[in-house]
Amino acid sequence: MPREFCAGRPERLKGSDRMKKIPLMLNVNGEEHDVSVSPNRTLLEVLREDLQRTGTKESCGEGVCGSCTVLLNGFPIRSCLTLAAEVQGGEITTVEGLREEEGRLDLLQQSFIDHGAVQCGFCIPGMLMSARAFLNRNPNPSEDDIRKGISGNVCRCTGYSKIVDAIMDVAKRSQSRG
Amino acid sequence: MRLPSVEYLEPRNVKEALEMLAGHAGQAAVLAGGTDLIVRMKQRLVEPAFLVSLKHLNTLNYIRREKSLIVIGAVTPLISLLESELIKAHFPALAKAVRLIGAPSIQHFRGTIGGNLCLQTRCLFYNQSAFWRSGRAPCHKDQGKICYAEENSDRCRSANQSDGACALMGLGARVVLNSTKGGRSLPIEEFFTGRGERPLAAEPDELVTEIRLPVPGEGEGNSFQKLTYRSAIDYALVSATAWLAVKKGKISGARLVIGGAGASPLLLKEASEKLVGKDVRDKHAVEEAAKQARNHASAFMVDNLGSTLEYRKKMSAVMAKRAVEEALERCLGNSAPGGRKG
Repeated sequence: MPREFCAGRPERLKGSDRMKKIPLMLNVNGEEHDVSVSPNRTLLEVLREDLQRTGTKESCGEGVCGSCTVLLNGFPIRSCLTLAAEVQGGEITTVEGLREEEGRLDLLQQSFIDHGAVQCGFCIPGMLMSARAFLNRNPNPSEDDIRKGISGNVCRCTGYSKIVDAIMDVAKRSQSRG
Repeated sequence: MRLPSVEYLEPRNVKEALEMLAGHAGQAAVLAGGTDLIVRMKQRLVEPAFLVSLKHLNTLNYIRREKSLIVIGAVTPLISLLESELIKAHFPALAKAVRLIGAPSIQHFRGTIGGNLCLQTRCLFYNQSAFWRSGRAPCHKDQGKICYAEENSDRCRSANQSDGACALMGLGARVVLNSTKGGRSLPIEEFFTGRGERPLAAEPDELVTEIRLPVPGEGEGNSFQKLTYRSAIDYALVSATAWLAVKKGKISGARLVIGGAGASPLLLKEASEKLVGKDVRDKHAVEEAAKQARNHASAFMVDNLGSTLEYRKKMSAVMAKRAVEEALERCLGNSAPGGRKG
């Protein structure tokens, strides 16, 4: 049925079986992956279903909650609203890629544990990615800056205070290290 | 939620993009940041056969000064506007509007200014999942003949909640559209049709390529105000933009715009005229303009956004007043020798 000014899909495209798959090379956490996906698949679906990187979570699926946040070239994006085809050629970092090479946790991950910032945990992968991107750009933030920085991420347990504390602690420690 | 099936097109340049739009006119949707389009596709509010991705169109990513204009490429990401000295210095209203779109951590890096300008009008009874909507007959915006927002309405009453559109209208922007047949430039008032069913004047084969803003002169100021429940990831319940010019202690020009009311941001001529010619200290004139803004905007509002109608009506006057007052302050800061207020 035609809606808005888009007259809808023509007959020949009815059904997903007619959709051409497209070959993609995705760079996820420094590894190249060759995948063949339908153009209507989101980055989130491809990460979880094709690459088994299930650290990234789907919650609302509409770009409202931030659970599915991953980094594209260092910037946070919502993987549920980003087609996999759109990010070819970019560097994608998921929560699995935060871990440092020797297997140690990222400072943020350790700080979240130390501060008890994780309740049910479903928002945490998104929180970590938003916080990591935020700290990379703002190494010397105020608490207000941090709250604004993670304002795109919803914690349904409402455990924001400890999350903010955990991020603040990392910011302070990185400063003192110089 | 899964997306409907679609064919994905990747034009390498603007010419190719326009050819694709012309070749699939009416069946192709333009994909810029996708933060609005992908949601609407998931909800089956729009099911394009083709997506024309603008990801390779870096030639449309710029902010620069051209004589008395500041021109912004349509694919410029919101973060670039936030970081632009040109925008911060001349258009605090636009800078604030862009900062309040979605959430800083996310939409700003994907969302584009052209995409925000083209944000579809919204309504609580329309922007829902296909399942939610399947329980009843389609509304006007959904090709039906019913309005759930207002009984017996013969047309769609959805509202334009784009912060960028409200700010750009207040600043007197022009919108440049291109197609294979050539280009045209519309004053932003004409870019919006005012019809909820089809709110944008862009033809199906046209692409918004550029936004042009006149550089403010001495004694001019602008301001944007937005009312939301949450401080992020929220659409405006009502918003206001004011642009004012002051000469010799009197207001010499005014543009007052209310967003989140009708299917287009509303450029309020009568309310603006109540300010022109008045002394800058005339508080009564500001009150009168705000009252007129409320009267005008109320005629367009129906109870279809996330707050009660009466509250939104009342707050339209408050937003208008705050915008005028702040713009006035900036006018005065701008006319003081050497002083320029951000």
